[in-house]
Amino acid sequence: MITFECVYIKDILECASFSISEGSSCVILTASEPEKISLLKVFTGLLMPDSGRISFFNKDISSVSHTELNQLRQKIGIVPADGGLVSNLKVWENIMLPLMYHRNLSQQAIHDVEEKMKNIMNKLDYDDEITRLPGHLPIYKKRLAGLVRAMLMEPDIIIYNSVLEGLGSDIKEKVIKIINTFHTEKKGRVSLFISSDERLLNDIKADSIYMLKYGRFNERD
Amino acid sequence: MSGKEIVRKRIIVYPSELVYLLYNAFKNIPSFKIKPVRTVFLRQVYFCGIETFGKMVFIGLFAGIVIITQITNLTGLGSGVLTGKILIWVIVRELGPLFAAIIIIARSGTAISAELSAMNVNREIENIEMMGIDAEKYLIMPRVFALSLSAVMLTFYFEFAALFGGITATSVFWDIPFEQYTTGMLSSLTITELIASLVKSILFGFGIASVSCVNGLAVSESITQIPQAITRATIHSLLIIFILDVIITVVFFI
Repeated sequence: MITFECVYIKDILECASFSISEGSSCVILTASEPEKISLLKVFTGLLMPDSGRISFFNKDISSVSHTELNQLRQKIGIVPADGGLVSNLKVWENIMLPLMYHRNLSQQAIHDVEEKMKNIMNKLDYDDEITRLPGHLPIYKKRLAGLVRAMLMEPDIIIYNSVLEGLGSDIKEKVIKIINTFHTEKKGRVSLFISSDERLLNDIKADSIYMLKYGRFNERD
Repeated sequence: MSGKEIVRKRIIVYPSELVYLLYNAFKNIPSFKIKPVRTVFLRQVYFCGIETFGKMVFIGLFAGIVIITQITNLTGLGSGVLTGKILIWVIVRELGPLFAAIIIIARSGTAISAELSAMNVNREIENIEMMGIDAEKYLIMPRVFALSLSAVMLTFYFEFAALFGGITATSVFWDIPFEQYTTGMLSSLTITELIASLVKSILFGFGIASVSCVNGLAVSESITQIPQAITRATIHSLLIIFILDVIITVVFFI
């Protein structure tokens, strides 16, 4: 589903190769925060390879048009470490934004999605006002809103950026449970965890673990 | 950066960026069918064109009183027709679009450049792109058209209030009947005046929007660059509206 073939991107990747197959989960550990942010840009096509090939769903992202790239991005859900919320939109508007933008939803469909959103939020014990702007929220709550937003899109690939960082044990347990359920909900769904904190491995049981070192992905046992 | 490089950047690159942004805005017009894009557009129109209604009428009324007082001093009390003509020429041809543009620069142009630069620094635009949302369609295009529509609305408020304020002032202060001025005004208010005023306000709106967006998007590294971007956007917007004003005035009235 995701394939890197000898990808070179200046200062980030040096002939890096790896692949993730359908239905699997994978952890990529980076040495630093900037490396992690750059990697996230690579996975969303914001940074293109200088040489080599990156494929999502068997499509080379360097050769697709801008519109096709945006269509691919719709199949990839991102949970940024800071939530990635737009500061001038209310929390619920942020959560609904990609769905409302990409899909022409009927009133009934919007109602159903809102119900689903409330359901996930209840499971996460998210008790803050979602009709307020996100500025006042702590980072982990913004991240939880980002998590709900990504899940509502029902993506084929979901990328979690430092998703468990700074969470208390109680909420961490709930997030892990939701992530595991979400992974198995759709056949072939890929879950990719990117973090610069090795402690993630204590909580997430992935099918494969890679270390990004000297611009290459090294698989760990 | 060498002198040659600076000149190239200011004379070729920067204007090309402004034109390219407007070209993309027009190209992305079909995105109005997307609901969140329409929401951004309507919010901007509300902020720029509707919330400013009271202030613009207030400024218009007082500007009208000041202008008619000066004209009456110049032409004397008996020249109602001439006074009406000058009032139309000054307000509809020039001051209406210009005042609307200045208010838009002060209120909305600065807000847009501050908002976009803050979004860029906080990597919000990047996050929007990661979701497959084209920032040019979602953030830029609705702002460009909203600002242009708002410029037309503010021009209309100003012109109406200034003409009304001017005539009312003469009736109240000098006891001159309404008809004396309205005759001169109506005879001077040709379709050319109205089109020139409309064209000016639309183009001023596009100019301010492109300058504000380009300068806002240029900030990407540090929050301390935001005030610099706002100042640059304000000065460049003023510059561009005066350049456009000269061009349109020459085209229409020479």
